[in-house]
Amino acid sequence: MTTYDARQAPVEHKDGGRPAALTDDDRRALLRYLLLMRFTEERALSLYRQGKVPGSFYDGRGQEATAVGPAFALAPRDRACILHRDLGAHFVRGVTPGRVLAQMMGREGGVTGGKDANMHFADHRLGCVQMVSMLPDMALVACGLAIAFQIRRERRVAMTWFGDGATANGQWHEAMNVAGIRKLPVVFVLENNQWAYSTPNELEFAVDPVERAAAYGFPGEKVDGNDVEAVFRAAAAACERARGGGGPTLIEAETMRMHGHGAHDDMRYVPKEMFEEWEARDPVRRYEERLAGDGLDVESIRASVTKELDRATEWALDQPMPDPSVATAGVFAEADPELGDGEAPWSRWREQDV
Amino acid sequence: MPQMGVSIAEATVVEWKKQPGDQVEADEPLLEISTDKAESELPAPASGRLAEVVVEAGETVDVGTVLATIETAPAASERSAVAEEPSEPTAAEQPESAGEQHAATGGNGGAPPVTPVVRRMAEEHDLDLSHVEGSGRRGRVTKKDVMAYMRRQDEVEASPDRQPALHTESPYREEAASAPAAAAAQPGGRELSVMRKRIAEHMVRSLRTAAHCTTIVEADMTRIEAARGKRSYLPYVARATIDALREHPELNATLDGELLTVHEPVHLGIAVSLGEEGLIVPVIRNANELSHEGLAARIEDVAGRARNKQLSPDDVSGGTFTITNPGAFGALLATPIINQPQIAILDLEAVVKRPVVVTDAEGRDSIAIRPMAYLCMSWDHRALDGALAARFLSTLKRRIENWST
Amino acid sequence: MSELTYLQAISDGLREEMRADDSVFCLGEDIGAFGGAFKVTEGFIEEFGADRVWDTPLAENAIIGTAVGAAVEGLRPVCEMQFADFISCGFDQLVNVAAKLHYRQGLSVPITVRLPSGGGFSGGPFHSQNPEAWFLQAPGLKVVAPSSAEDAKGLIAAAIRDPNPVLYMEHKHLYRRAKGEVREGRYETPLGKARLARAGEDLTVITYGAMVLTALEATEDLDGASIEVLDLRTLYPYDREAVLASVRKTSKVVLVQEATRSCGVAAEIAALIAEEAFEDLDGPVVRVTAPDVPIPFSPPLERAVLPQVEDVREACRELLAY
Repeated sequence: MTTYDARQAPVEHKDGGRPAALTDDDRRALLRYLLLMRFTEERALSLYRQGKVPGSFYDGRGQEATAVGPAFALAPRDRACILHRDLGAHFVRGVTPGRVLAQMMGREGGVTGGKDANMHFADHRLGCVQMVSMLPDMALVACGLAIAFQIRRERRVAMTWFGDGATANGQWHEAMNVAGIRKLPVVFVLENNQWAYSTPNELEFAVDPVERAAAYGFPGEKVDGNDVEAVFRAAAAACERARGGGGPTLIEAETMRMHGHGAHDDMRYVPKEMFEEWEARDPVRRYEERLAGDGLDVESIRASVTKELDRATEWALDQPMPDPSVATAGVFAEADPELGDGEAPWSRWREQDV
Repeated sequence: MPQMGVSIAEATVVEWKKQPGDQVEADEPLLEISTDKAESELPAPASGRLAEVVVEAGETVDVGTVLATIETAPAASERSAVAEEPSEPTAAEQPESAGEQHAATGGNGGAPPVTPVVRRMAEEHDLDLSHVEGSGRRGRVTKKDVMAYMRRQDEVEASPDRQPALHTESPYREEAASAPAAAAAQPGGRELSVMRKRIAEHMVRSLRTAAHCTTIVEADMTRIEAARGKRSYLPYVARATIDALREHPELNATLDGELLTVHEPVHLGIAVSLGEEGLIVPVIRNANELSHEGLAARIEDVAGRARNKQLSPDDVSGGTFTITNPGAFGALLATPIINQPQIAILDLEAVVKRPVVVTDAEGRDSIAIRPMAYLCMSWDHRALDGALAARFLSTLKRRIENWST
Repeated sequence: MSELTYLQAISDGLREEMRADDSVFCLGEDIGAFGGAFKVTEGFIEEFGADRVWDTPLAENAIIGTAVGAAVEGLRPVCEMQFADFISCGFDQLVNVAAKLHYRQGLSVPITVRLPSGGGFSGGPFHSQNPEAWFLQAPGLKVVAPSSAEDAKGLIAAAIRDPNPVLYMEHKHLYRRAKGEVREGRYETPLGKARLARAGEDLTVITYGAMVLTALEATEDLDGASIEVLDLRTLYPYDREAVLASVRKTSKVVLVQEATRSCGVAAEIAALIAEEAFEDLDGPVVRVTAPDVPIPFSPPLERAVLPQVEDVREACRELLAY
């Protein structure tokens, strides 16, 4: 009788239940990831405008904190289903910007090697499962990951992101329901960026989604989605709860999508005042200011990220287009799946033997 | 193989009347062939020596296929192939109404297809498909036919080349035990003749196609008896039938699927028995233009030609109504099978003296002895209903019973 | 060896796999306490526990979607759709997530989805379908359809071991009608390999599922003809070699499927034959299928729609005579 592959013993927190503490290095790391996301997307948009990016282009400008914050709370053996405006989460897990740019341009060396487009990528070696366009299908997949942890009695968490529009979909309700019934170790990150393409909240739901969590049997928490540390803390607490068998949490992170649904969208339906209001709350600039105010060297982080982007862009532009034979390869698998572990840069994970 | 009729694409050789090596005279009957519609004798197109028979009895070939060769000049290598160009009517006399003849060599307009596997096998093995007998529908050469043909060729080729016997090998061969009769063959069983098969196919198809009903009336034949003398009843009944069809024209019709065509002229089919061989139904065209005497003459003519196998396929097609008269054999009633694509067939059974009730002019009834006959008409319920059938027969009965020349 | 019904064989195969590998688990509606609508998982929750036999809520996308997540994390989920018809409620997860994940990300999805399919017992339009054709159009999915008890056990095992999403079309009308000798212990019937249900010379009937029994009955004693019956067993990817070899041999093909006519498995194989065995054909390639209608409920209507023994006989007769 076979058993599962030998898995490491669950992580025991020596100081279980303490608030999620961030060292200065953690905070520098957080800023770095915010800037990586911001700069990579700006660079990619520029490439798109130069005609180097086939298809559509989507970014998460203004939502960097909701991407980076929750991902930062993940342990190496946790798993993530990252969505199209959460590029920062990929960076936290260990994907590098060059691979992202090559991915956008459809080249070899891109995360999917040309098989899928724009943000439809994930590195399974880093514990991430790739999104589909239908939303929020990945919420159910995350529940499935959580079921595996539950059956095997592992203290691991599955995290998934989705937007306000996705909460109108039947599959969201199926996911919330299943998570609540089984008290799954899953963290649902709802990025309420105010717009589902051109559809505002009031046309997507009659009830603020965070209140719906109670209807499915677990807590919902609303946070300022443009404050990376706030989102991080909420996610870390949710992960702890999940690890301890407390079940799922819905975190509604309030933010604003500062660019169009895609680069093709001019956002004419957004009132100008809204832009102004949210521009003032820009998550990247706010965090830079806060860290600078706390005496941390923000400029060097900026400079290093810029350099990294320059190198990455050059590398990506150097990658060839994929060979046509790749098009018919890989429909069927020959071997069982191998989902690896993510980098998990939060200092807490360095404190124990993980 | 000549084109025996407008729509004929192939025919079967039934029997060769001469063997290779025989002398034949021009116009002498050389072989008998059979098509969907009729059997015919083909005369030799030239005098000479029958050199080679190419198509054996039992084989079905396309129009235009060479059947045999006759050597007309003794020393010359010239041969006159029998029935090569169908534009020459080398067949039995073409009847008047044959219509156009196509100069068709085998393989167009209705010829069966050559399927991909058959074509490939023919190419691979360098076969002439015209030599292969086709057992498929419409005489198609099937894959099995090709394989069987090739096996026969192999057998023919395999016989020579015997190796010298070894000391221990003797030419003695034990007698094989007689093979057990195949499960299907009963002692004395024999396969149906070509004509029988055709009749069988037509009858089964007719029963499957039409919704057969039979309505019967009896008619007092006294007047016809008085008029006919030594002649048969049939021409009188035929004339009466044509008159009845004038009154009920819907019965003079053909039904093709759901398309009913009522015909103006009456092309009357008359069933002719060919004894044990079978039967055939030659058609008297425009029978409505003939008196009973004219009908009698035509009936005698077609019957004679039928028995002498001188009918062409066009002689047996195009009928609009059929009469059959097996009454000479003494049966009283029958339920005949409709001759497709017509919608009715009339069967005149035996005329028998019977006691019947007669009513005189004053309305008084008495018993008299009268020659009575049953007229049995099978009709297609798809095209008409019992009421019309009955009315028609009623009319026919009236005309027969009130016959005056 | 023991004689089992088709239903028992599926159960047996599933049970053997669950005993051999505790990463195998079952999920579906009413499969636990109730033992499944068709009792395939009767006794399972008692033997394997609620962790491995999950009575899901009424949510097909959830069943398939959570199965995908569990599978990429190393478990081997076996989903049950209560009726094949309900796969449409889980269609999105199946064709967009499960089918495409390996192609796009290189992450395999070893899930099995059991689909009780087919008609013949007045189930009506929503309980009688044979929806396999939809999934021939979703690259990344494999589809199997056993017709015998022996293959039912072997194919469920093979489906579970396969690292790809496999749809297992179990025909409801075969549950108790198909019986046979089934080997004890674990064994796998290979995917992608057809089975010669009967060898013949004159004509080949290519079919699968319940129609294999119909075809065998129809051609057992048909005017003395020798008729080959090829049971596809796997509908995608199907055994092209076996199909082409049989066409080469008999040159006449009748394709039989219980599913509705347009664009089904029969259409696909007819096209393959036309493309790759054209010069082996001695007659047209013929299909016997249900017409393009929802499956009606009342018995005479259902019988008029689902291919019957006589329909197969007629088609074979016609083609034999060609």
